[in-house]
Amino acid sequence: MQAIRVEALTKTFRVRRKEKGMRGSIKAILRPQTEEIRAVHGVSFEVEEGEMLAFIGPNGAGKSTTIKMLTGILYPDGGRVEVLGIDPTKKRRQLAYQIGTVFGQKEQLWTHLTPYDNFRFFGAIYDIPDEEMEHRIGELAERFELHEFINTPVRNLSLGQRIRCEIVASLIHRPKVLFLDEPTIGLDPVVKEQVRNLIRQMNREYNTTIFLTSHDVGDIEKLCKRIIIVNDGQIVLDDSMEHLKYHYLHKKIVEVKMQEETKLPQVAGITVLKQKGSHARLEVDTGAVEIGDALRRINVENMEDINISNVPLENIIMEIYKAKDRQQAKSAVEPVG
Amino acid sequence: MSRYENSAVSNAGDMVKRRLPGRLCRGHGIPGRKYGVIYRAVLMENLQYVANMALGFFGYFVFIYIFIKLWEYMYRTPEELIAGYSKEQMIWYVMMTEMMWFGSNASAVGRQVKTDIRGGNIAYLMNKPYHYTLYILAKYTGEWSIRLPMYAGLAVVIGTVMVGAIPGFRLINVPAMALCIMFGLTINAVFKICIGLLSFWIEDATPFQWLYDKLILVVGTIFPIEIFPRALQPFFKLTPIYTVCYGPAKLIVDFQPAKCVEILAAQVVYLAAGCGLMFFVYRKGVKKLYVNGG
Repeated sequence: MQAIRVEALTKTFRVRRKEKGMRGSIKAILRPQTEEIRAVHGVSFEVEEGEMLAFIGPNGAGKSTTIKMLTGILYPDGGRVEVLGIDPTKKRRQLAYQIGTVFGQKEQLWTHLTPYDNFRFFGAIYDIPDEEMEHRIGELAERFELHEFINTPVRNLSLGQRIRCEIVASLIHRPKVLFLDEPTIGLDPVVKEQVRNLIRQMNREYNTTIFLTSHDVGDIEKLCKRIIIVNDGQIVLDDSMEHLKYHYLHKKIVEVKMQEETKLPQVAGITVLKQKGSHARLEVDTGAVEIGDALRRINVENMEDINISNVPLENIIMEIYKAKDRQQAKSAVEPVG
Repeated sequence: MSRYENSAVSNAGDMVKRRLPGRLCRGHGIPGRKYGVIYRAVLMENLQYVANMALGFFGYFVFIYIFIKLWEYMYRTPEELIAGYSKEQMIWYVMMTEMMWFGSNASAVGRQVKTDIRGGNIAYLMNKPYHYTLYILAKYTGEWSIRLPMYAGLAVVIGTVMVGAIPGFRLINVPAMALCIMFGLTINAVFKICIGLLSFWIEDATPFQWLYDKLILVVGTIFPIEIFPRALQPFFKLTPIYTVCYGPAKLIVDFQPAKCVEILAAQVVYLAAGCGLMFFVYRKGVKKLYVNGG
């Protein structure tokens, strides 16, 4: 079953424009000028129930606007949205019972209350009966190891503890779809991993659909099986993570240590990224030259050590971010020839 | 059996229940329960600021002291009446309206709505299963529920020591007066929310807030309506001033059952109309919401 259906979604904002300086300020009063900014343009996709999807893009790409339309906060100018079969613009409050949201940069917890009181608060907001609520708090506290600080006011918690509580507060009503916007922002690597584990666990045990937005490639790589990249209000890539990583990943980074300084070959498909003495770092485009061929050309006999790795996912995503449309995005990652 | 009921931690809830005090809510299925929970959460949060709130006592005292001296100068003889008010009634009137003003901090209501809309924070409050305007109203009620009794206590002490008891005051009338004050504060908040909601359309609703505040302050708070020219009085009685501050304060200084019924009836009408307007403006405005980035 589909958890989310989006068809030709469009949203345009009208923003004020002002010329520079005092003259511009006066002119703006007398003759205000506005400009239309196309935040989302013809976005269509579907998300299956229980899927973990990364919805990413550079700043200003339109991902937050899309999330806000999916949660009923913003009204689309065109297109159709359905989340769990509900139109968010018409039945926002009904949908609110079915979805959860975590915004890493926004606090939803009441800072002077303890996590426990906060959970009770959110439970009551979602009309959960008292006994059921106690059961759920206990279960979530146990699973997410909150017992140590469940009675400490939120303002006294560390960032990692607070984010864990934020996630639990979003789960108290057992949402079927969870929207996570930068859930690991500002966290240290250990806590990041804890949060990722929580999200994974939630998806596995409750079959919660995860809609993740993050600039952290680790979040995307470790959590999601599918990735949608938006840029300039349009989808430029919608693919499985596996496909993106292994099919499109035609470029290899080869780091070699030679026995002595050698002149590296000037061959199509091999780019020398860095060379210092006997150490060299090369990029091999396996679409243009096979890896074995490339190694032979580098001169295997003279080699002391070698390390072959994939281009980091971050670099691939960066390349796609630079693309303006689907075609460009595809050519940015696909092998040549 | 739901997929959640397979939990391995079946007794964890009971464990937390035993260990943890201060639960926020007990009932279920009662209409408006969630707003009661918001109210209690604010109450619990604000209880930690009681000492800070008490700092405002000094400002209240100075304000009242000036007015006591002013009216003592204006009244040449103890028996004199100005606009139908004795000196004690006039000073108690100002003390009561100022008590409501200081005790409710109503400007925070409009300010929060305005800030939520302009700053985009409303986006994170709207995606919960409650009505945003009622959420604000519940929060505001939670705030004044602590502040107002504190200022009421201070007003009674200052008034009793510096002015004397209110002539003809009877404790039996206190519940009706309290109801009137409660309605008055709520009506004020509803109108402030309506003004704050204008931020959906305009850059800054502050000038409108300022005008409204000054109207209430000058016409209904510092001076009773009867002080103003007779021709203007019917007009003032049609404005929120009559139900927000004049009505409740008038009842405290000069309680009359017929007047009480009249004021309460006017408050009910105003509250119904105000809420209708608030929901309408919100419904229209929310479609205009402009939140991007983040």
